[in-house]
Amino acid sequence: MKKIINTPEKYVEEAMEGIVAAYGDKVEFLNGDFRVIVSKNCRQVGKVGIVTAGGFGHLPVFLGYVGEGMVDACAVGNVFASPAYTKMEAAIRAVDGGAGVLCIYGNYGGDKMNFEQAIEDCEMDDITCKSVVVCDDIVSSPKNEWRKRRGVAGIVYVYKCAGAAAQQMYSLEDVSHIAEKAMKNVHTIGIALSPCIVPEVGETTFQIADDEMEIGMGIHGEKGIEISKMMSADEISEVLMEKLLTDVELQKGDEVSVMINGLGATPLEEQMIVFRRVAEILKGKGVSIFMPHIGEFATSMEMAGLSITLFKLDQQLKELLRFPANTPFYTNVNK
Amino acid sequence: MKIKELKEIIICIYSKINENKDYLTKLDQESGDGDLGISMVSGFQAMKDYMEATEETDLGRVLNKCGDVFNEAAPSSLGTILTFFLKGMAKKMKGCSECDLDGISEALQKGIENIMKKAGSKPGEKTILDSLFPAVQAMKSPEVKEPAKEAAIAAKMGCEKTREMKAVWGRAAYYGEKSFGVLDGGAVVGALIFEAANEWKNESLLQEKSLRS
Repeated sequence: MKKIINTPEKYVEEAMEGIVAAYGDKVEFLNGDFRVIVSKNCRQVGKVGIVTAGGFGHLPVFLGYVGEGMVDACAVGNVFASPAYTKMEAAIRAVDGGAGVLCIYGNYGGDKMNFEQAIEDCEMDDITCKSVVVCDDIVSSPKNEWRKRRGVAGIVYVYKCAGAAAQQMYSLEDVSHIAEKAMKNVHTIGIALSPCIVPEVGETTFQIADDEMEIGMGIHGEKGIEISKMMSADEISEVLMEKLLTDVELQKGDEVSVMINGLGATPLEEQMIVFRRVAEILKGKGVSIFMPHIGEFATSMEMAGLSITLFKLDQQLKELLRFPANTPFYTNVNK
Repeated sequence: MKIKELKEIIICIYSKINENKDYLTKLDQESGDGDLGISMVSGFQAMKDYMEATEETDLGRVLNKCGDVFNEAAPSSLGTILTFFLKGMAKKMKGCSECDLDGISEALQKGIENIMKKAGSKPGEKTILDSLFPAVQAMKSPEVKEPAKEAAIAAKMGCEKTREMKAVWGRAAYYGEKSFGVLDGGAVVGALIFEAANEWKNESLLQEKSLRS
């Protein structure tokens, strides 16, 4: 294992300390606990609180979106492991300003169960909570069972729209309705070229051969749908877009935001080469692109590869996407 | 059963899980991510530490707190499922400082129902339920003679049956067909819990006898 760390046991804590050292003007630990990070001024009377949580090892997901116009608090687990519900509960309580709290998280067993317990406990104290579970990874389950799909990079668009709605003082009902709509409109597919190493394990837990790539691999190394020989950027774009376009119904005149998300070890140059072909394919279908997002949004430590997300838009979602957001890891000013 | 007995049982379970740490880790490496041994020991250790320190006498409150400390120490999927089990039991026992066998069976049943409700799983899906469920069924049977022993046997048999099941939950599910022939780590933990409870029962019977003689 070749990693720039001190000890595997301190991986999460020390990275979290770095984040607060760097961006302490925007975010802070809740009562000094590195497991819960909150936006400064996270509790606003009458504003719906937005909470998320998940395992570590995917920066900027999840906690990187805590900040102005997006998420108010995030509970942080160990690498690839859900935080405890007591931490989620603390996050929910910290952001409740009387208008209720929306919990947005990816569809994984541990996160889901812990959130349900946290919400049950908070509701005992009359905090109204709703949740939107993101399941955008199209290859992880067939279309007729899409609620079983895993949540990946598309969650960023859900944070963005829900956060913008909450910032404009929409009600919990409306914010969760918007988040649910955004969630249903995000579809993602990824490929992996190399594995990642969980620091505490110290070695790769799966392999990808030097001349191969895995289509549909999850961001924790979950098995994909196909292992194939390495392809060119154009071929990769075509294969992934073909699968996306059989799942998302797009017609001439539709608008989408496209996210090309590097998994951690893929250069921005390569992401741009992929975006180039994706844009051509969409143009060919008469679909226009609004505010493309290219870069690293949901990573898997040193995994090489990328994912493509299509976010189908309507007027309301476009306005929410455009609404200002500024977090330590995200801004839409430059998009 | 009062707090004292509950404390003894939990200590027994902790020791049993600790003895089997490496075995659980090995099992999990076959179909999971290899953290089962470590996380279960952390969870049960936290529960044991809490039990040894608490002065609370309400069985429900104690079990509820056990759920919290277990989850904080082991927020893995199985850790959370065990928390649901504890919290389900806690609700049933709330307000009781003492509980008879029927009460214990009822509470265990509620614990299982809470797992099924929150995790959305059911017996037959290669999970911890495949050992917990038959164990509690055995305890509740009208013909039951030695509840702790019969529950332990039923849990063990239920656990063995997970070899023939295909995983549908968690990371094990990604192994699909390959999960045949492999025991489910969660079901093994369930069987160990009842095995430990039975050993505690035998132990305390022995003690009673020696006290009388």
